[in-house]
Amino acid sequence: MDRRNFLKYSGLASGTLALAGISSAGFVAGRNKDGNTGFGRTPYGKDQFFNRKPFLVEQPTYMKVGTPERIGYLDHLFRRNAELRYHIFSYGREGFQKVRDEGPEKLPEPLKSYYIDNPSAFEEFFRAMDRANEQKANWEKYKDRYMLAEAWSAAHASPLGAPGAFPREPRGNPEESDFSGVNEDSLKLKSPQHGSRLIKKISHLFGATLTGITKIKKEWVYQGALRGRGRGDFEVPGHWKYAIVIAIPHEWESFYANPTYGTSHDAYSMLRFISGKLETFIKKIGYSARSHIPPTSYDLILPPLGIDAGLGEQGRHGILITPELGANTRLAAVSTDMPLEPDKPVDLGIRKFCNKCKICAEECPGKAISFAGSPYKTVRGYKRWSIDQDKCYTVWNSVATSQPRGCRICLAVCPYSRKNNWIHTIAREADPRDPTGLVSSAMLSMQKNFFSYPGGKEYLPPPEGNNKTYGKPPDWLRTEEWFDI
Amino acid sequence: MFPYSTMLQPIFWMVIGLLTGVFVIGLRYWLKDLNISMNWWKWVLLSFWIVLLAVTLCGSFTLMGENEWTAGYRFLLFFGTVITISGAGLWMILRRVNP
Repeated sequence: MDRRNFLKYSGLASGTLALAGISSAGFVAGRNKDGNTGFGRTPYGKDQFFNRKPFLVEQPTYMKVGTPERIGYLDHLFRRNAELRYHIFSYGREGFQKVRDEGPEKLPEPLKSYYIDNPSAFEEFFRAMDRANEQKANWEKYKDRYMLAEAWSAAHASPLGAPGAFPREPRGNPEESDFSGVNEDSLKLKSPQHGSRLIKKISHLFGATLTGITKIKKEWVYQGALRGRGRGDFEVPGHWKYAIVIAIPHEWESFYANPTYGTSHDAYSMLRFISGKLETFIKKIGYSARSHIPPTSYDLILPPLGIDAGLGEQGRHGILITPELGANTRLAAVSTDMPLEPDKPVDLGIRKFCNKCKICAEECPGKAISFAGSPYKTVRGYKRWSIDQDKCYTVWNSVATSQPRGCRICLAVCPYSRKNNWIHTIAREADPRDPTGLVSSAMLSMQKNFFSYPGGKEYLPPPEGNNKTYGKPPDWLRTEEWFDI
Repeated sequence: MFPYSTMLQPIFWMVIGLLTGVFVIGLRYWLKDLNISMNWWKWVLLSFWIVLLAVTLCGSFTLMGENEWTAGYRFLLFFGTVITISGAGLWMILRRVNP
């Protein structure tokens, strides 16, 4: 072979090898756990973060259409259900059928007024309880297959809600509990900007993936019950000036394998430790602090605070969507009177994308998510996306888990809930910069035509479905990989 | 994880760079032997097409790596078809248009 031919065929071989190399680099970029933003990643992992500066706006993207009102505590599904259950149990064993037969008119206030205004919620509660009984009976069939998933969830749930759990629930009035342990010999803070920068650094070092700061609007404070003091209306305490909103994701591999392999408790337990430590830190530098932590230990509504703090926008599924974590964004907050500089909200085009997308609505096993073309419902003075919480809860009671511990399908299928690798970064960076909407339409078209989704009912157990998960469960959650079944 | 480990990542991309260099040298000989005369815009078009080919393969395998196998195959099928058709068009332009 002469020199010329040698170079020609070497070039051909090199080109083929280079393409193979680039393809394998692509495969590894998809497989690489470093693409999982947040969960376990170092707080110094700067490559995870999205530059929000070009997208800062003065007003959040939610739409104020009336006089804002504070949210009543019965609007919170868990509190409402807990109250109804308490009432049912007060009648003993017959309570369930008796209350169901009597209807909402015989309920004590404020349950009576709530359910008369929302009769479908009353019916749905009992439907969910029927499904809960089926779920319990079915668990015998599934407990071996999902043993590791159950253990994973239970392990993360173990620090939640136990007596003496950290951080301790507030006791007494906020004017006492939020100032308990505050350092009275504190130094003068140089400026609110210094305060915000310090708190963000510390919060990341405690494990937060995202941290934003905002002033607390009174409409984001629950009404009718206050932790530490109990039932009764209250004025928003004057020292609840700012909310430090922290966000972390669920562990990504189990998250994609929802509804049966994922859990909410992984993020909740991490949020509990991060916000509890932040509360202690703030008190030790001389300011009041109170943690607000899911699933139920909060006096503030967290998603709108996250929007105000510039973390992201509300999605069709009602969840906060952030550019880094997509809908895999779980929130907690610490309220404080520490002087801080608030962040500005952002407009990343997420709301507009959700107008078109509807994948979460198509995949929701309970049809709890609206298909409307744009936010349609006015809730306490704001036009917004609003899911049917009660239908959602029925799904919790239907999937093949030992107890109702969530579904999270709408979060997993959301096109924003993707890895931090080159292909999704291009989409993430290009879409908000395109005023024509062509990029989002192209992305959505690819999302709907290339990706496969099991479809609504398939996530439920037989006979309705086939216990499908959105993504493949990781080996460390597949019992059959480690145990003889 | 290879090729993103601390030591191997720079080596990997250096090797890819080297292979690309050898490929470009070989390509010039191929084009000459096929009597295809090149100018700046033909090189731009050809380079653009090669980058598209690489991005298509890389994108498809990235999706497969994420366990989105169906999306990976469909991505490859769709953009592979686009690449093939545009490649045929480009080949005709390269052969027929003489600067």
